[in-house]
Amino acid sequence: MDRSLLPDSVRAGSASTRHSGGRGLALVLTCVSLAAAPLLLSVHYVDLLVFAALLAISGLGVGFLLGQAGIINLAQVAFYGIGAYATAHVTVAWNLPGLLGLLLGVVISAAFALVMGLPLLRLSGHFLALATLALMVIVTQLFFEWDWLTGGSLGIGGIPKISLFGWTFDTPMKFYYFAWPIALLCFWMLSNIADGRPGLAMRAMRDSPEAAEVMAVDSTALRTKLFVLSAILGSISGSLFAHYVGYISVESFTLERTIVMIMAPVIGGVRNPWSALPGAIFLSFLPELLSPLGEVYRILFGLGLVLVIILFPQGLLGIANWRRVK
Amino acid sequence: MNAIVPSLLQVEGVGHAFGGVHVLSSVSFNVPHGGLIGLIGPNGSGKTTLFNIICGFVHPLTGRVLFDNRALDRSSNVVQRSRHGLLRTFQTPKVFEHLSVLENVMAGLYKCSRGGVLASMLRMPLARREMLRMQELAEATCNVFGLGSMMQRPAGSLTAGARRNVELARAVVSEPRLLMLDEPSSGLAKEEVGQLREQLARINQSGLAILLVSHDMDLMSMVDRVHVLSSGEIIASGTMAEMHRNPEVQQVYLGL
Repeated sequence: MDRSLLPDSVRAGSASTRHSGGRGLALVLTCVSLAAAPLLLSVHYVDLLVFAALLAISGLGVGFLLGQAGIINLAQVAFYGIGAYATAHVTVAWNLPGLLGLLLGVVISAAFALVMGLPLLRLSGHFLALATLALMVIVTQLFFEWDWLTGGSLGIGGIPKISLFGWTFDTPMKFYYFAWPIALLCFWMLSNIADGRPGLAMRAMRDSPEAAEVMAVDSTALRTKLFVLSAILGSISGSLFAHYVGYISVESFTLERTIVMIMAPVIGGVRNPWSALPGAIFLSFLPELLSPLGEVYRILFGLGLVLVIILFPQGLLGIANWRRVK
Repeated sequence: MNAIVPSLLQVEGVGHAFGGVHVLSSVSFNVPHGGLIGLIGPNGSGKTTLFNIICGFVHPLTGRVLFDNRALDRSSNVVQRSRHGLLRTFQTPKVFEHLSVLENVMAGLYKCSRGGVLASMLRMPLARREMLRMQELAEATCNVFGLGSMMQRPAGSLTAGARRNVELARAVVSEPRLLMLDEPSSGLAKEEVGQLREQLARINQSGLAILLVSHDMDLMSMVDRVHVLSSGEIIASGTMAEMHRNPEVQQVYLGL
């Protein structure tokens, strides 16, 4: 329209400011809880929370693709591995600072995701899921075959703890305060995308690709950007993993790992960009809480996941809404 | 004598076939700037294929489409055509079901804004201002289209009539130059068709050209000129009154 159908005040623009106070409060509470947690928990649980942070970062990438754009990415562990191996090489073989390894992993993962994303993202639905699965299989097989680069099943050890401005994050407690701020920053940035114009376009594209195209949403370009972004998060997570554990091998980059990366946002409530955060904590703690029960804990763990999905189809973050509906 | 109004859309000798079956044969017609042109014909006559060709979902085997005197070839896809101001709605309304009504209309403003992934990710002031502006315009548009009371509802929960309205509001808010409406009255109650008619008249009076496909003769009575499509060919063109008097049109379509 010629927007002559709209009132004059609207056409002129009078941008009022709106805030989503509830979500801001939830974010503050989350940050405070996470900041206080290591002071109240034993080192063992702090260690679990560090792994939860790493899973949350990689899960954020796949969850964002799935929840916002409807893209199932089963190749996240490939980018996780690229980040980890880049860090291992830069720090162990080249003896350079860990931050450079993290950056190299990000650059390689982004470039690889761009090159692979352009042809793959022309597919959709289960075809795309299978294509990303194939990509994951190829890359993890290359990790195994290229033992001159990856150390194969022997792996690469002696990866130093990451240091920043002379401060070495060499204990679970210190690493916790390094990894979680990075994770929260990633969540904040991606939730900003979801709230913004690209997020609107992604969700439109997810609901009706044809109608989104008519609204001038260039779905190929947008999907590729998101795929690259997801790969970058996978790579950052892999780099942090390599630094924290100090040793990586092909055993670290399996199909099971990629499934866990998808489960984290699904358990959390995949439509919410923050879903991977509670999902990752849940997936890191539940096996630990059940393990005193002996071998039966694996069955109970599986049962627990099924129950969460059945009882809370909108995920852990949907519990508040579920209670309200009830 | 009428002044010659330059054409906004020119369809020249367009032909198409699916699997060897001809669905369109040398179809030619124009839509003038600000015009309200109708396209009628029995089911299977090729109207939707023609719509798909004009908006870029399908490329014609023969002929060409010109928009504002520029030929729209294979390199011009749906997104580019939309950016040039060529917009359509669908026979079955394609609303974004999990988005609220307000967000659906905001999606119509996507091409009128520029905030990219980086600007949104870093919450730059420009991106935030742009979203607020989109929201403000979308809210006002919802009110104009009678959607004010349902702005926060998911579009997937609406009735067929309300979905049509959302689709129309979403298309109109993006300020297209040509709006192509595919069966906009399908599934609407009689009073809703009346409201649609009023809205279309208002939109057209604001200078927007409309290409309308409908089986609803009451709605079609508002068009300046109508083209009758039968078995992929235009068999007659003129005013609706002329079409009602045309024996061939009566035989193949109007069933009088």
